[in-house]
Amino acid sequence: MLIRLAGGRVVDPANGRDGIGDVWIRDSRIIEAPVGETPDEVFDVSGKIVMAGAIDIHSHIAGGNVNTARLLLPENHRAHVARPAETPLSTAGWSTFETGCRYAAMGFTTVIEPAVPTHYALHSHLELADVPIIDKGILTVVGEDDFLLTLLREGGNRSAIADYLASALAQTKGLGIKSINPGGSVAFANNARTFDLDDTVPFYGVTSRQLTQALQQGVMDIGIAHPLHLHTNNLGVAGNVDTALRTLQAADGKPLHLAHLQFYAYGKEGKRGFSSGAAQLADAVNKTPNVTIDVGQVMFRQTVTVSCDVVRQYGSIGMAKPRKSVIFEGETVSAGVVPYLYKADNYYNAVQWAAGLELFLLITNPGQVFFTTDHPNGAPYTTYPELFALIMSRDLRNKWLADVPKEALEQTTLPSIEREYSFSEIATMTRVAPAKLLGLMDRGHLTPGALADVAIYDDDPADRARAFRHAHLVFKDGDLVVRDGKVTHYRTGRALTAQPSYDSNIDRRLARYYDAAYGLSRDLFKVPEHTIGLDHAFEEVACQG
Amino acid sequence: MTAYVDGAAVPLEAAAAEAARLLEGARLPLVAGLQTDVAGTRAAILLAERLRGAYDHAASDALLRDVGVLRQAGRMVTTANDVRIRADLVLLIGPRLTRLWPDLADRLALGAPPRLAAEQTARKIFWLGGEPGAAAAIGATEIAASAEQLPQAVAALRAAVAGRKSRLGGALAKNIAELAGHLHAAHFGAFVWSAETLDALTIEALTGLVFDLNLKTRFTNLAFGPAQNAVGVLQTSGWMTGFPIRTGFGRGYPEHDTWRFDANRLVDAGEADAALWISAYGASAPGWRRKVPFVALAAPGTSFPYPPKVSIEIGAPGQDHDAIEWSREITTFTVTPAKAASAAPSVADAVGLISEHLKGNEAC
Repeated sequence: MLIRLAGGRVVDPANGRDGIGDVWIRDSRIIEAPVGETPDEVFDVSGKIVMAGAIDIHSHIAGGNVNTARLLLPENHRAHVARPAETPLSTAGWSTFETGCRYAAMGFTTVIEPAVPTHYALHSHLELADVPIIDKGILTVVGEDDFLLTLLREGGNRSAIADYLASALAQTKGLGIKSINPGGSVAFANNARTFDLDDTVPFYGVTSRQLTQALQQGVMDIGIAHPLHLHTNNLGVAGNVDTALRTLQAADGKPLHLAHLQFYAYGKEGKRGFSSGAAQLADAVNKTPNVTIDVGQVMFRQTVTVSCDVVRQYGSIGMAKPRKSVIFEGETVSAGVVPYLYKADNYYNAVQWAAGLELFLLITNPGQVFFTTDHPNGAPYTTYPELFALIMSRDLRNKWLADVPKEALEQTTLPSIEREYSFSEIATMTRVAPAKLLGLMDRGHLTPGALADVAIYDDDPADRARAFRHAHLVFKDGDLVVRDGKVTHYRTGRALTAQPSYDSNIDRRLARYYDAAYGLSRDLFKVPEHTIGLDHAFEEVACQG
Repeated sequence: MTAYVDGAAVPLEAAAAEAARLLEGARLPLVAGLQTDVAGTRAAILLAERLRGAYDHAASDALLRDVGVLRQAGRMVTTANDVRIRADLVLLIGPRLTRLWPDLADRLALGAPPRLAAEQTARKIFWLGGEPGAAAAIGATEIAASAEQLPQAVAALRAAVAGRKSRLGGALAKNIAELAGHLHAAHFGAFVWSAETLDALTIEALTGLVFDLNLKTRFTNLAFGPAQNAVGVLQTSGWMTGFPIRTGFGRGYPEHDTWRFDANRLVDAGEADAALWISAYGASAPGWRRKVPFVALAAPGTSFPYPPKVSIEIGAPGQDHDAIEWSREITTFTVTPAKAASAAPSVADAVGLISEHLKGNEAC
């Protein structure tokens, strides 16, 4: 199948391209314009914006905690609906099937589920297999289990830690390594209610900082593309901008991804003792090129927070709305599911909303700041179109600013910021940079040879959100899957994995540990190579070596 | 032969075609029983969606009693492994727990100190409202309470922990007061129970008690569900439709209603006019009273209250074929390899065959 996408504005910053031209697809790949061949199909996309498919690096779309949230909140499906009840299916906005369809309709073709504990990977992959169209990947959560912490207590043999991490990726079919308030689950089990960067993990004699740095080094040692994906300490706490700044320093010049930074951009100014520290934080990020961040933007609506930061989640249950929460503990990591309603007329929520936008607009390199709402924690991913519109238009922001408390805006710099993202910057932030961060070499760009994941949008300055919600056309692997914002047919996606080699001695040690600690085989927790009943295949991504 | 139409042996294809005809011709087809592995559940729910039918599970009462409290009041929960390595106090609540889970005490290693506890001392183990003698069999201290007394005993325990009085009297009141003292002294305690043997109010009271206890110390619940992948079916339903079982697709999208989509009610009220009964784990038959025509995908040897229109004998998950199932041992899904692989069709196979014979097109 030879396809010509004719006459669109091709925005492909990886190739320095932003101009009118054609894009050619043969089967599943982008190709050079062929000489002397007639395309099987020509799409006239003049007046449209042509980009590679978008990549979401951090969206909680599948797994035990997400499913608990579904079961806890049967009334919450409408919260995931983009606009009020447009279609009959909008009452089920939150199933795996809807997740694939809605992401695809927005031109997203790869989404990473960023929090899969080592013991629950099969559940996550089962759900991801039921997310149609898009490709997926998981980040494997480590840092709380007794085996690893004992390694660290005994001196932290660097090669053993690296082997442990590589073995965890093999066991879970993961793409990267994540740690969440490192040591926090253990602290909570031991009755702590706060846990800071320099607090000691009870009984193990290592601090959260030391644990973080050991994991950061371990991830570098196994040679996967994605650096340690860190959800650091003190999320959501007034004054936590200090924790974020200390975490940036703790990265020590080495690669690190700091997740949903908006939730750490809080100062203690103002009469309510809660202000935006985002300008200061953005400045620090601009000076720390070894660190990438994603925003975790807050949008005003009902949502539910889903996080393995059990210290934070337990601390939030008094603020739950509706007033019901689930705190889940486990032998390797704990978690909490706490519903929350962000309101435009709430001082604190307005500061959070503004702080997120400040990070987007004040971090100068669009390759260093990633586009997320930490779905569903800051907002459901279905709010992305409005968020694109907000960062692309100062006029639109000014309209929104009129609806939030003035007192809150006084604690932010947002009203003074004039920057507007260009399409090229949007493409860098949502295509080029995520592909690079995750090591997905053939994605995020339209270079001949690249995977033919292509999203084509209307260029409608009056309603950017509509254009981003309902892509004009979307191709996945060269297959037309969305036309005028409607999914035309299901197809199955793949799960992307990184599987570095390692010394299998660690597996024998782990097997003995599981026998002794749990009286069970570690094999019970493995995601098998050929997972029965799963429609999706695994696709291994090359390591850096 | 393993497939029958009106009691006569037929080729599998013919049985699937007849099943498709019956289900597709129905005004409201019902998928019920649903005792199957994950692959079978996925196939069955997709079939229900395609047919614009409804689905329910044989163990819905216990599953939805549990979910009902969860979605009203929230909960703190943990895994069997976490209790095993961490809990210094274990309180079992309600009857029949070791009958429902015979290996429970071994799995939790109740006889050994918790591996990760602050102090390597023996666990304190209590069983409130177990059947006589059951506590002693696992080395637990028995706190006798009849089924009628149990809700009041749990309420009294919650009151005692909060320093309030209750109207409970006699030996039970004294035992409850002592138990409250033990709870206060624990570092990491776990309540172990099953919704199969508790009523909703008791579940709500004891999960509320766990929240109360966490104001000062650490407590959580180990709530285990019905066996044979019933919890896995609930979970699979959750991600596929966003809702638990007892969900219908009559309007073209999933709607969940514990009363409307109760399988027995749907049949007995005459709303469901054809059914697909799925029972892969053992000889389990429908409990409805009206004789609605039905297709049975069931284990060989199942006896039905009245004959199915179509019957296909199914292999057992984890026995005849590999299966993904919920494991209460690890509190998540795991792969169970076939113990003796056979050619018997799985539920997913059989539903797939039936689906192939449907005339309607697949929708997105």
